[in-house]
Amino acid sequence: MSWRHIKSIQGILSVIPVLFIMIFIRFYPILAAIYRSFTDWDGLYRNNWVGLKNYIDIFTNSPFWTLLRNNAVLLISVPLQIVLGLFVAVLLYEEVAGWQFFRTIVYVPQIISAVIIGYLFRIAFGLDGPINLVLRKLSLDFLAIEWLGHSASALFVLVLCLTWFSIGWQAIVILGGMSKISPDVIEAATVDGANFWQRTFYIIVPMISRTLEYGVIMSMVWTFTGIFAFIYSITYGGPGYETSTIDYMIYTKFYQASANYGFACGLAVILLIIILILTIAEMRFTNKVSEWE
Amino acid sequence: MKRLKQKISRTIIFLLLLFLAISNLYPLVFMFINSLKTHTEYLKNPFSLPNFQHLAWENYQTMISQFKIFNLFKNTFIISTFTIIFILLFGIIASYAFSKLKFLGSDVIYFLIISSMFVPVQVTIIPIYMLFSKLHLVNTYWSVILTYLGMFLSEAILLLTAAFRGIPDELIEAAELDGAGYVDVIRYVIVPMGRPAIILCIIYYFIVTWNDLFTPMILIQDMNLRTVMVALAALISRYSGDPTFQFAGLVLAAIPAILVYALFQRYIIKGIGAGATR
Repeated sequence: MSWRHIKSIQGILSVIPVLFIMIFIRFYPILAAIYRSFTDWDGLYRNNWVGLKNYIDIFTNSPFWTLLRNNAVLLISVPLQIVLGLFVAVLLYEEVAGWQFFRTIVYVPQIISAVIIGYLFRIAFGLDGPINLVLRKLSLDFLAIEWLGHSASALFVLVLCLTWFSIGWQAIVILGGMSKISPDVIEAATVDGANFWQRTFYIIVPMISRTLEYGVIMSMVWTFTGIFAFIYSITYGGPGYETSTIDYMIYTKFYQASANYGFACGLAVILLIIILILTIAEMRFTNKVSEWE
Repeated sequence: MKRLKQKISRTIIFLLLLFLAISNLYPLVFMFINSLKTHTEYLKNPFSLPNFQHLAWENYQTMISQFKIFNLFKNTFIISTFTIIFILLFGIIASYAFSKLKFLGSDVIYFLIISSMFVPVQVTIIPIYMLFSKLHLVNTYWSVILTYLGMFLSEAILLLTAAFRGIPDELIEAAELDGAGYVDVIRYVIVPMGRPAIILCIIYYFIVTWNDLFTPMILIQDMNLRTVMVALAALISRYSGDPTFQFAGLVLAAIPAILVYALFQRYIIKGIGAGATR
């Protein structure tokens, strides 16, 4: 048996455990979710083909459009994160005294569980919570509202929370992108008389466009899929469905009595399609930039 | 004049960063301070310092003796540890194969595994739940561990394969000339050379699995097997509860992840900066 032959057998054997897990915990469930979305599956025995009924229900007879609106509103957090993250990264890049300490602290929110952060925000924006106490002290009583009781203000609190949580991540990613810029370039611009803002917007931003695109897309995907625990611990998706998102609804449907899992699987497929579109956009960006380089 | 101007701008930057640091740390400080107050003290003024003569340590005592928070720590710790062990075990050998042991179809398999990376767990959770309930895995640590492996292996393989590609083939060939077999190559060449990526995996997945809510909440309902975050999420969902007591639990639950971050933050900062994960 040749050396190369042995190596390729070793290679095949090495990937078998991963392949096994992927087939059972990823590929099978994805295909199952797609298939079940066309049935009235209740998780047990009822499993009749119903065609597009679940999708028609989702689009015409469910809070789906409210969910989608909420997802869209929460996406407002993404540009806020990018702008603030860029600002923080540029500040860190100047390497003032203690910058490494600040860099460490900037990332801290990412280390804390969403359950904890969510609870702190819920307490902070409670009717008699710290925020309202301060507002009343400042005689701004008209602002001391029941923040989590109305859809617009509750969504505002969620956007604020997601932004606060993500600034550090964006800043570290952007700083990573900036570290690839040669310091000479920035120094040359400084010598030529470019001020702080000119350096930031005419030199740094164009040179890290790839990093910014990565940050935008990853954050968008995350906003669609990674914020369950924030919603759960701040608003429970309420009042009503006013702050629920598509992924949160999948959870709600899972626990409802007389469960129609076919319907939940339909939502899952829609979520999957949204993520797929974002991911393909990300890959297109990557190709364009690597061609350019 | 120019030096003065530079000094002023650096001071402004320092102050802005200081403000940001305070805004990041204050919520944690607020939580800690109030966890040491009684409920009445908290209602009187949530911003005041606690009474240092009578710190309300009983919040913590109740958390430990009645809420049994260390039992919950144990559950999460077991799940996190086994998840990390299997991610490394399967991830390292697979990444070694993808980077160094090319075989027919390896690129296709690699692409398949990586492309599943973005599929969110919410999409797969209902079929997974039904599959596990048939296999009697629901309400076991294994249900969560296996789901985590499905969620994180592709990401870990992307990271490890990229790291292993940077290892020179000559090193492996030299080791093999000295009679090193498959296991020896992994043990004495791949693992030591890929150390930063491996450490990043350990720390990152510890923090992620420690903090996660969704997967364990769906798959484990048994009160004695619940993870910390699931139990705390249930506790805080009672609006009538005493916040100071709940703060004490949240402070305890935050400590392990903060500790790990404090010790290994340079690996995380470097990894995230290189675009490793979100």
